[in-house]
Amino acid sequence: MTMKSFSYRAFLVLGLFFWASVSAQEAEKDKLQGMIDAALDVIYTDTYTTLSAYEKQSQVREKLESRYDLDVMIRYAIGKNWRRMNKREQLEVLELVKQLVLKAYVIGLDGKDRPSVTLGELTEIGKARIEIESIIVLDTKTYYILYRLRQMDSGWQIYDIVAENISVSSNYRGQIDDHFRKGSGADLIARLKDLLVKDEINEDTKI
Amino acid sequence: MKTRKFKRPRAWACLIGLLTVTTLTAQVRNLTEDEAFFYEEVDESTDVYDPFESVNRFTFVFNDFVFSNTVQPLVDAYTSIAPDPVEEGTSNFFHNLRYPVRLASNLLQCRFKGAWVETGRFAINSTVGIVGILTPADDYEGFTPIKSEDVGQVFGAWGIGEGPYLVLPFLGPSNLRDLAGFFGDRAVNPLKEPFGVIDDWKWERQLALSGTGYIARSPQIIERYKQLKGSSIDPYSSLKNGYAQYRRGAVAE
Repeated sequence: MTMKSFSYRAFLVLGLFFWASVSAQEAEKDKLQGMIDAALDVIYTDTYTTLSAYEKQSQVREKLESRYDLDVMIRYAIGKNWRRMNKREQLEVLELVKQLVLKAYVIGLDGKDRPSVTLGELTEIGKARIEIESIIVLDTKTYYILYRLRQMDSGWQIYDIVAENISVSSNYRGQIDDHFRKGSGADLIARLKDLLVKDEINEDTKI
Repeated sequence: MKTRKFKRPRAWACLIGLLTVTTLTAQVRNLTEDEAFFYEEVDESTDVYDPFESVNRFTFVFNDFVFSNTVQPLVDAYTSIAPDPVEEGTSNFFHNLRYPVRLASNLLQCRFKGAWVETGRFAINSTVGIVGILTPADDYEGFTPIKSEDVGQVFGAWGIGEGPYLVLPFLGPSNLRDLAGFFGDRAVNPLKEPFGVIDDWKWERQLALSGTGYIARSPQIIERYKQLKGSSIDPYSSLKNGYAQYRRGAVAE
């Protein structure tokens, strides 16, 4: 094989590799859009109107989990505190945080008009990491939300959502860091269970 | 029946073994990389200097009580009585009144384009938009809304540190730099003391204006606060972190 033909083939292979990588990333946009639409459908389409809030949460969860592994984002938010819990506590915290976030999501959209969500630019933000911008129009106001994804062993997974400069993972990491300065895994579980049984989100603060 | 003899069985065994080992190693490496990823620092720092945590927590609970029992019912009544266009118009009116703060903050950061856009928006909205109730400037090219600036952000852009985190009674989360910025905002606002331009303004009228402005912008604030609180493990910590991230982002922009 001459040097020239080798260079040509190498260039072709690299080009194909790059193209495959770019189209794989672009496919993530469709997958993400599909997840958002499917979750919103549960809250807003007539098919689901008879469902209770809890049933809606379960349906939303099913839609999300069919596309992404929600544990990734929660594990990332827990960070090093993961090692401060035993195996049973780790699994329980994963489950309870998931329920809390889904509950807040469904309650947060209750009674509002369906937001329109359009995905914007996809940016590579590091090794095996991408960021997808989404433009949300809700009640005539426009919001920008960034979805951060990382290529994991299980495929591309969402590890952070940034809304108006506030990273959800960082916010939870801060809370959990604060918790473990004084509390334990068992305390965290008790706190999460307590939050989940409250019907109203304002109930817990009394003076 | 003739069976095909497998040539070089050792070489094939070695090759298959090598491939298996390589695949397994790659999987283990991926798992380790994935595991390491979970322990890395988050992009946005979670550190907030909070030496007055116990006092802040008390003030947070106090504010929450006031919010839930005083501001929330007032806002609920306001939002149920006022039709959406009235709500929006009132919010626009008070936003327009804060133009001097935004202008000064842009100029102090040498953001002349921002100052120009804010001035254009103020001129268009105050005239065509009937004292700022409407926002026709949104449709003028070059005068679409930009991020609001305040004196606290100016201090941040000048490199002044945040200082300790504070929870101010009735006002909510802040830090030492933003508290100074709050007084700076008042100083450059001709409708507020100590440099108010209207001499014969009675305090009752000033209070009424400030109170109405507070209620007008509260629905959005309350909505965000409720969402943040509803999804948080520790609402105090969540608000502290959320506020710090929001302000850091605003300064960095």
